[in-house]
Amino acid sequence: MVQKDPEYLKKAISVDVHTGKATFTIFPGLCKGCGLCREKCPERALDWSHKLGVYGTPTVSPNPELCKACRICEQVCPDCAITIRRKDKEEE
Amino acid sequence: METKEILPKMPKSWNPASKPHKFCPGCGHGLVLKALGQVIDELNIQDRVVFGCDIGCSLLSWDFFNVDTVQTHHGRTTPVMVGIKRANPDLITIAYMGDGGGYAIGSQHLVNAANRNDIITAILVNNTVYAMTGGQMAPTTMPGQKTETTPYGRDIKEAGYPMLGPEMVAAIAHEGAYVARGSIAKFRQLKTFIKKAIENQMAGRGFSFIEALSTCPTNWRTNAEKTWDFVENIMPKYFPIGEYKVPGGKEE
Ligand SMILES: Cc1ncc(C[n+]2csc(CCOP(=O)(O)OP(=O)(O)O)c2C)c(N)n1
Ligand code: SF4
Ligand code: SF4
Ligand code: SF4
Ligand SMILES: [Mg+2]
Repeated sequence: MVQKDPEYLKKAISVDVHTGKATFTIFPGLCKGCGLCREKCPERALDWSHKLGVYGTPTVSPNPELCKACRICEQVCPDCAITIRRKDKEEE
Repeated sequence: METKEILPKMPKSWNPASKPHKFCPGCGHGLVLKALGQVIDELNIQDRVVFGCDIGCSLLSWDFFNVDTVQTHHGRTTPVMVGIKRANPDLITIAYMGDGGGYAIGSQHLVNAANRNDIITAILVNNTVYAMTGGQMAPTTMPGQKTETTPYGRDIKEAGYPMLGPEMVAAIAHEGAYVARGSIAKFRQLKTFIKKAIENQMAGRGFSFIEALSTCPTNWRTNAEKTWDFVENIMPKYFPIGEYKVPGGKEE
């Protein structure tokens, strides 16, 4: 592989959600602001953020009170810009 | 804020250096290739896969995976993958194309590969338009649908009927073939279909064909809400989702 440190890894914004049981992380360098995740969030927990993404459009940020860490946004993001980490189930 | 390092959950078979990928915001190609990437990881076949992409927006995936990749001419991905498979049957060849590439200029290849029961997997992304060239009518443009070249909606009397690919392939395919239509709006199911299609190739049973209903917000000129509505509610009315042919005949 050519590149060791892709630009998008340099910035990650993490928020504790679901009463601290999980972390919602957005990588602005991957987010294209398409809004697909916002529409699919069953809790309507995602809002546009002042942090801008790779194309200079708003990224998303979760309302920690509403987010249940269900991972739907993570699944529907075509760019893998969202990572949900649940602290109970530590995955790889 | 920082605990343990949190990384993007990209499939291992994705090429991290080529991300963010080149597809537009909200493009369904990214989701089809995410499902495919997860399947390649789960089957542990990254070193055996040869990925072929067509001309059309699918070509933007020429450096998408860390697998051997070839970018072919418009409509010719199916025969290129058939040739590679015949030369080296140990490889797992995946032909990735759009609806224009697969159903218009490349339809003869799809028909003949299906009829010969060639042991490859073809994945065709149906976004109802010629996306890369600016959203013209495609073989999959639905009756009444407005595109760049059908500003009043596709008129069946003038432009004929849309192509129902999996239905056509299933009708001519032989025992051992696997044929399904999935949707990026049903991600898990799409992933299951892709997995079965690749396993079918690995088992040497026959031709495996998946059509994936997908989004093109750029040419549809839709916001996120309308993009989901189109792929989730409007497209499946014309393009029913499900399995059309499975070896042994237990379609879901
Ligand atoms: C032989 C040939 N004819 C026509 C073209 C012009 N062309 C480029 S992409 C394309 C259509 C792409 O549509 P589709 O296959 O549906 O893929 P999409 O971009 O929608 O994913 C066409 C006609 C070409 N590149 N080569
Ligand atoms: S994890 Fe679930 S609840 Fe939380 S923002 Fe994503 S979709 Fe909404
Ligand atoms: S996180 Fe992903 S799905 Fe959500 S707006 Fe950004 S690119 Fe789109
Ligand atoms: S034009 Fe449409 S299909 Fe092509 S990358 Fe953009 S959204 Fe995807
Ligand atoms: Mg197309």
